[in-house]
Amino acid sequence: MNRQFVCIICPNSCQLKVEYTGKKIMEIKGAQCDKGKEFVKNEITNPLRVFLGSVKVIRGDFRLLSVKSATPIPKKYLKIIGKMTHALKVDAPVEIGQVIAKNLLNENIDLIATRKIFRKDCIYRNKG
Amino acid sequence: MIEKEVIIIGGGAAGLAAAITCYERGIENLLIIERNAYLGGILNQCIHDGFGLEKFHTSLSGPEYAQRYINQVQEKEIPYLLNSMVLEMNAQKELMVANRQGLHRYRAKTIILAMGCRERTRGAIAIPGTRPAGIYTAGVAQELINLRNYMVGERIVILGSGDIGMIMARRLTLEGAEVVLVAEKLPYASGLPRNINQCLYDFDIPLLLNHTVIDVKGNGRLSEVTLAAIGKRGGIVPKSKRRIPCDTLLLSVGLIPENELSRQAGVIINSVTGGPEVDERGQTNIPGLFACGNVLQVHDIVDNVSLEAEYITEGVIGYLQGKKTNKVQEIRIILGNGLRYVVPQKITTIKDTIFSFRVNAPGKKKTLVFKEGSTLIHKSFFPRVNPAEMLRITLPAEELKNIKSLTVRLV
Repeated sequence: MNRQFVCIICPNSCQLKVEYTGKKIMEIKGAQCDKGKEFVKNEITNPLRVFLGSVKVIRGDFRLLSVKSATPIPKKYLKIIGKMTHALKVDAPVEIGQVIAKNLLNENIDLIATRKIFRKDCIYRNKG
Repeated sequence: MIEKEVIIIGGGAAGLAAAITCYERGIENLLIIERNAYLGGILNQCIHDGFGLEKFHTSLSGPEYAQRYINQVQEKEIPYLLNSMVLEMNAQKELMVANRQGLHRYRAKTIILAMGCRERTRGAIAIPGTRPAGIYTAGVAQELINLRNYMVGERIVILGSGDIGMIMARRLTLEGAEVVLVAEKLPYASGLPRNINQCLYDFDIPLLLNHTVIDVKGNGRLSEVTLAAIGKRGGIVPKSKRRIPCDTLLLSVGLIPENELSRQAGVIINSVTGGPEVDERGQTNIPGLFACGNVLQVHDIVDNVSLEAEYITEGVIGYLQGKKTNKVQEIRIILGNGLRYVVPQKITTIKDTIFSFRVNAPGKKKTLVFKEGSTLIHKSFFPRVNPAEMLRITLPAEELKNIKSLTVRLV
C-alpha cells in the first residue's frame, strides 16, 4: 500500500511517500531527517501527539495555566484528556515543568505546566 | 525628556530578542516599551507547541519560548515599561508614551520597531449580512480561550486557512466544541502543511479549498453562514451556495503589520509586505530607525522573528558607533517572476545579507536566481516552495561586492 504522510515534527513539513503492508514498512521517501522515519513508523502503528491544553488557576496572575503532556500520547486519547482538564485546578504559584496531573487514564499520561504563574498578590508578577 | 541609546517598541518575540542582543553587545542604556500588562506578546496565548525547534532544538509552547527570553531580560536587568503605549513618534526619534503614571517624553539615538502585527477583520474582507455576536478573528478567540477562560461557542465555522485558524480548530475541538469546517478562498492552504495534518485531519475537520463565506445571519447571536464555491474566474458559483447552521465564525484571513507609529514618523511602508522598506541592516528610510519581526514582514515561525531581531542589532550598533560602512550607491532589488516580495528591498552597504522571500504560488523544484544584469550572482534550489513558508537565504559579502544592480526571480 502506498500512502503520503506529512511529517508534523518540524515546520519543514516533509512530504513522505511510504510503501507498506499492514504494519510493515518497505520504503520511506522524502524524509529530510530520521525523525520523519520514526514519525511514519508511529503513524502506521500507534499515532502519537503531544496534548496541549489549559487548566484553571487559583489566585494566579493569569487565570489559566497552559499545560502539555510530558511525552507524546496516543492520538485517540486527546479528546478525553481535553475533557479531563476541565475538572483540574491548580494553586498559584506554578513553575514551568511542574507536574499538574499524574498517570491519567492509567496510561502513564502526565500533564506538565508550560507557563510560569505567580500569585496574584505577589510583588513579583508577570503582569505590571 | 528622557534620553536613551536604544528604545525598543514592543516586548514580544522580536523586541525581547533585540533587547537581549543589544545588551550583550554592550548597550546598557536601553528600554523596552510594552503596551500589554506582560512581556512575551502574542507568544503568551500560543499555548500549542512547535516553537524553538531552530533556536533551541526542542519543541516548546509559546509561553515556554517567551519565558526563556523574559528570564534573560530579568537576569540582565534590562529596563522595560509595561502597560505603556507609545502614542507618538517622529523622525527625530522622539516618543510620547502614556501609562498610569502619566505622559512621558523620550528621545532615543536609535529606535527598534518591534510592534508586531494584527489580524484582518470582517470589515477588511467585507462579508455582508447582519451584525450578530459570535464573529471573532482567530487570534481574539485564542486569547479568550487560552488566557481569559472564556469559551467562544459550540458549533464553529472557520474562514481562512491561516495557521492560527487551524490551531484554533484543534484547540476548540479539544475543549469540546464542534468545528464544522474550514473554508479557504484560495486553491491552496495559507498555513503550514503540518498544521493541516495535525489540527484538521487528525480530528476529521474538512478543509474546503476554493470556498468562502458570502453571507452571515443571526439576530443577537450568529445562527448560520452561507458558504459558496469560487469558480475559475474568481466569482462565486451560484449553484454551490449552501447554508450552514453555526453559532460562531472565526476569521483567519491574514495579518497586517502594525505600522501606524511608523507612518506618523514618515517611514516608507511597502505596499506588499505592509511593513517598512528597509536596507540590508533592517534600517528604514529614517536613519537610526530599525524594524524587525512581524512589524517588518509577517513571519510563519517565531524562531525566524528572533533571528531577524538578532540580525538587525548589528546595524543598530554600527549606527550608534558611527561606524564607516562600505557604502555603495543604493541598489534597489528588482523582483522578477514567481516572487511576491523580498526583504530587504534595497542594499546600501556590502555585508553578509539575509534575504527573505515569499513566493506567489506553490511549486516544486524551483530555483531562486540572483543576477546582476545577465551575470549570475547566486542561486539556491528548493525541492518545493509554498506561499505559507518564507524562504530565507544568506548571501555572503563577496558575492555582492561590486554589483551595480540586483534582480531576483524564481525559475
